[in-house]
Amino acid sequence: MFDEDLIQKWLDEGTINHNQAEKMRADLVEYKKEHRSKKQVNAFSSIGAILIGIGAILFVASNWEKIGNTFKVLLLVGSTISIHYAGYHFKYENQKYPRLGSALILLSAMFFGASLFLIAQIYNINANNSTLVLIWIIGVFPLIYGYMSTPIAGLCSLLFYLWIGLLYMERTGLENLISVKDIYLISGIAIYFTGILHSLAEKTKHAGKTFKFMGLQAILISLFAHTFKMWEYKVEKIIPVIYAISGILLLALLIAKPLREKSRSFHADISISTIALLMALITLTTIYMPASEKVYMILFNVVFMGLLTLLLYAGYNMEDIGIVSTAMFWFILLIFARYFDFFWELLPRSLFFMFGGLVLLIISIVLERKRRELKVQFSGGEE
Amino acid sequence: MNQKKVFYLTVVFWLLIFSGFILYKEYTLRTGTKVILKTEPVDPRDLFRGDYVNLNYEISTLNLEEIEAEDPYLEYNDRIYLALEIENGYGVPKKIYKKPPDNELYIKGTVKEPIYEYREEDDDNLIPEESRLKERRVVEYRRIEYGIESYFVPEGRGLEIESQQWASREGIDVNVVVDKFGNAVIKSLLIDGKEVET
Repeated sequence: MFDEDLIQKWLDEGTINHNQAEKMRADLVEYKKEHRSKKQVNAFSSIGAILIGIGAILFVASNWEKIGNTFKVLLLVGSTISIHYAGYHFKYENQKYPRLGSALILLSAMFFGASLFLIAQIYNINANNSTLVLIWIIGVFPLIYGYMSTPIAGLCSLLFYLWIGLLYMERTGLENLISVKDIYLISGIAIYFTGILHSLAEKTKHAGKTFKFMGLQAILISLFAHTFKMWEYKVEKIIPVIYAISGILLLALLIAKPLREKSRSFHADISISTIALLMALITLTTIYMPASEKVYMILFNVVFMGLLTLLLYAGYNMEDIGIVSTAMFWFILLIFARYFDFFWELLPRSLFFMFGGLVLLIISIVLERKRRELKVQFSGGEE
Repeated sequence: MNQKKVFYLTVVFWLLIFSGFILYKEYTLRTGTKVILKTEPVDPRDLFRGDYVNLNYEISTLNLEEIEAEDPYLEYNDRIYLALEIENGYGVPKKIYKKPPDNELYIKGTVKEPIYEYREEDDDNLIPEESRLKERRVVEYRRIEYGIESYFVPEGRGLEIESQQWASREGIDVNVVVDKFGNAVIKSLLIDGKEVET
């Protein structure tokens, strides 16, 4: 889309006349207004769907005894199918409310999970069962492609992380094999990799950005957890192999020229493959030359800072405000965490909080200003 | 594929999952044998399904020295089939199998972590000095999961049931139905032999 500067440039060059420039300016304002309104509708309908979905799950959890099990199942399964039909109708048959239709399809996917948990509750299937979450994923995953649904890609990623967590709790043997931080880091890389694969084909690229976003968040959360001085870092021999395979797979995808050209976030993708390979190296070294907790803390802080810097660079290059905002958010969180770690013992409490608060306020003002500038720059004048 | 087909396929797929799930459990409930199992309950909460009573059965911890086993080497996550004998309605462990036994009532379970108990050998003839040095014998138990360790109750009823359990004389029993494939489903909770209404 063109912007105000471009219109002025064409006007100065004589490519367009004043009337054409005015028409373009008016159209541009109209386009931006509509674009903003679409975003608002998307946000409101998605939040509404999520709230109703959470309500349905809480309804199941309350195990209300006033109505019988058969009626509850019929009510919830009936609602799931009806909401799904309403979503399909508004998005494809009526076509007047496509965004509402998408939100209703997301809601039906949440109701599907609630119905599943209701049946599991009636038959007293063991609590915190990972298989139920897996069935939920299997049930809703095809909708990502069937309805080109981006929110369901997000829901599936969240459910995948939940499934991994429950599986980790169920199989106590996993604790000896891999730490929870590493399992989520590998899961995040896997989801990010899924995102890259999706962004390569025209028919699946709608889900690519969501998978990448969800993968990136898990990677950042687990790496952030690594930056704290905690207990001994233990690694089994299989872990560096998994990291190395995921890093090499990512790199192989990005090295192939036709695939590289299709990837719209090459720099961010390279950052993630670098992290995977770096983790392979760190975990491999840990097996043969384990270091002290302090060394790991320093090392992971450097790795985390490095990743944030790479992401900021990628965000600027791709003019992607989402990546820049994500990197800035984690950067602030990192400063906050380290401030507490290093100065808690050194400064008197009152001074600690006042000075820390002041520093954070200044940082937040600087970063917010920078973020706004970038947003204006990336969107061509739209704020 | 057009969206109309996607819609119909999704509805059919979801209904198949729901009905398959219900039929699988109903099959056990309708065709299985009723067994009562002794328990010791506590009261936690599930993320999606609310309050439940955590059931720890007597058969959840098997003493490998007391119960005959087809193969005594049980690894973590191994599938086992515990043959049950019914005594006064209660299911009592008879033998542990690695493969489903023929013509026996059995319940399917998964081996979990081992539990070790240190017991001192009792010997009345030992003099005090010797008794201090008496050998400690290790008794190995195996925790087994049968997929019937949770009983879901209406919000807030978990604590109530727990207090009833402490007040009861005979503790909590569970009415379980076991089908011919060893799958078990909880039918009801019994306190002093009476069904708990939920």
